[in-house]
Amino acid sequence: MRILLVEDDRDLLEPLQEALDASGHGVDAVGNGAIAQWLITQKDYDLLILDWMLPEVDGLRLCQYYRQSGKGSPVLMLTSKDTTLDKITGLDAGADDYLVKPVDMLEFLARVRALGRRSPLWRGDILTLADLTLNLNHLTVERANKTVELSGREFQLMEYFMRHPQQVLTRIQIEETIWTWGEEPESNAITTLVRRLRQRLRGLNADSWIETVYGIGYRLRPPTGSDTPAILESNPNGQPPI
Amino acid sequence: MVNPLFSHSRRNLARWFTGSMGSILVVFAATLFFLETQEQMRAFDQELLNKSRTMAAAVKYRLHEGRWRVELSDVPVLGSNSIPYDNEVQYVRWYDRQGQLVRFVGALPPEQLAIAPGFVTLSTPQLLRQITLPVFQHQDAIGYLQVAVPLTPVRTNLRQIRLFLSVGVPLSLAVIGVAGWLLGGFAMQPIQAAYERLQRFTADASHELRAPLAALLSNIQIGIVKPAANLETQERRLQKLVEITKSMTVLVNNLLLLARYEGSLPASTLKVVDLVPLLKDMAGTFETEATQHHLRFGCTLPDHPLTVMADADLLQRAIANLLNNALKYTPPGGTVELRLTATNQQALIQVKDTGIGIPEASLQFIFERFYRVDQVRTPDHQRPKKSGGFGLGLAIAQQIIQAHGGKIHVTSTEGSGSCFTIELPLINHRFRLLPSS
Repeated sequence: MRILLVEDDRDLLEPLQEALDASGHGVDAVGNGAIAQWLITQKDYDLLILDWMLPEVDGLRLCQYYRQSGKGSPVLMLTSKDTTLDKITGLDAGADDYLVKPVDMLEFLARVRALGRRSPLWRGDILTLADLTLNLNHLTVERANKTVELSGREFQLMEYFMRHPQQVLTRIQIEETIWTWGEEPESNAITTLVRRLRQRLRGLNADSWIETVYGIGYRLRPPTGSDTPAILESNPNGQPPI
Repeated sequence: MVNPLFSHSRRNLARWFTGSMGSILVVFAATLFFLETQEQMRAFDQELLNKSRTMAAAVKYRLHEGRWRVELSDVPVLGSNSIPYDNEVQYVRWYDRQGQLVRFVGALPPEQLAIAPGFVTLSTPQLLRQITLPVFQHQDAIGYLQVAVPLTPVRTNLRQIRLFLSVGVPLSLAVIGVAGWLLGGFAMQPIQAAYERLQRFTADASHELRAPLAALLSNIQIGIVKPAANLETQERRLQKLVEITKSMTVLVNNLLLLARYEGSLPASTLKVVDLVPLLKDMAGTFETEATQHHLRFGCTLPDHPLTVMADADLLQRAIANLLNNALKYTPPGGTVELRLTATNQQALIQVKDTGIGIPEASLQFIFERFYRVDQVRTPDHQRPKKSGGFGLGLAIAQQIIQAHGGKIHVTSTEGSGSCFTIELPLINHRFRLLPSS
């Protein structure tokens, strides 16, 4: 999922970002309300995680602004304001969930998964293409009873491919989807990432699925004849990790 | 946001006020009306009685041809020789001692006197007040004079009063209601202010205490969920935990300090302290720091000692908090000044800066625990030189000074600087004017 995480306490922002990254989410982490407000007009997110007290534009206003601009993705308020009135105010401003700090990391990740299921983009916790399956919760790829684990970024790329099979994805598209805001990928970073993913898929004998389209980008294509039409299927029975 | 609790209480206050004042008003008006009715009737009856007595006085009782006879010819209205008494009199009747009608003027009366002597109100088409007056001559009753006049003037008067009250009482009730609402508002203001202050304090305190806990928990859990790939990451994480714990230690120490020195200090901990060397010492330290921040530091001290009873460490801490704030909130190129002067009985320590100042609206809260002008509350160590710790520095300074029997106050203009003044009682002001040499 593409997640915008807004939190001005860097000591909290960093571990949360790391945890979300490790769970295979693409996270834009910012510490300032005004930047966050600008970002939500520029990019589409599957989930917003907002602190309440933020510099310049507070989380409550951000949430209202987000809803007023007609965006429907879930919003999770993560704040130390803990009175009932605060919770009511937060939820009424358009938040879908409200967590009081300090929050257990595992619960936090479970809530993020739960909210992810409400995203209009959710198509189950397991994506299937031909005989290859990608488990969104375990960050694993499976084929013919063999399982390979992916790193956060490899997983994001794989998920992006799986959601757009047969399509040529340009380097710019990949960069915008996988690299977080404000992060400039090195010139060969995408090539490296694709190479790493291919290495992982080699374990499943599927490395040839990723085709290089010279001068444009890449495409995920199951070998023709190996299976009937390559249609993305969904399976909502995925188990959460840990 | 206006708490519904307060508008509810305000409504209740207004309601009770209107209820109690209103019932007092209604009871008062009813009593007034009752007494006025009584008084009007009494006056009316008195007049009627006087009138009847005048008539009775004109009754002549004389011996005529060996028999006592009652002569009525001179009685006003009734008598043939008399002039009409006035046109108010509805009727006059004379009954003899047996109660037989003898003579009358006005409506046709019953032949026999039917009522006992006294006043009675009759509701013939017109409301009448009738008096039956026994007339005596030498202790012998010689007859009864009955006079009736219409009650119209009394009724008119009472109707006017009633009209006045029926308009006046509801109108007053409305005014009382409005007054009750306004008074309720006034009464709720300090309560609401205190409530808001408490709310803000708990919200701020919970934020300050929770933020480091949240950061600790998350940083520890990320270490469990996603073990560090290399030593460098692990060291960075541990370093962060150390930082957060240290900052939390400072917070806990500050809170303990505040808890420990509540109220005044025990006399045994106070010593005679000369403020001049104490401040000179501090000025040395802060001058170095000011230079590092590209600030000018000025220090004005008197050349004779100024002694107070104080705990020197605590006093230094209070002054250091003020100086630290001054350094923190003054942009490079500005001036921070420490000045010691004295009035007859007080030593005045002033910390003055040319910094960003404090907004007018924040001045009244500036000494409150956890209060910060900047409401964002980003942890201090992440925004060097910008934000004020936990918002406890001034609260601590104030508490220390108050524990010394002193006062602290502030004047500030947003954008051009602040001036904090500490007043401490001098030990013996008689010696103050003596030069130290």
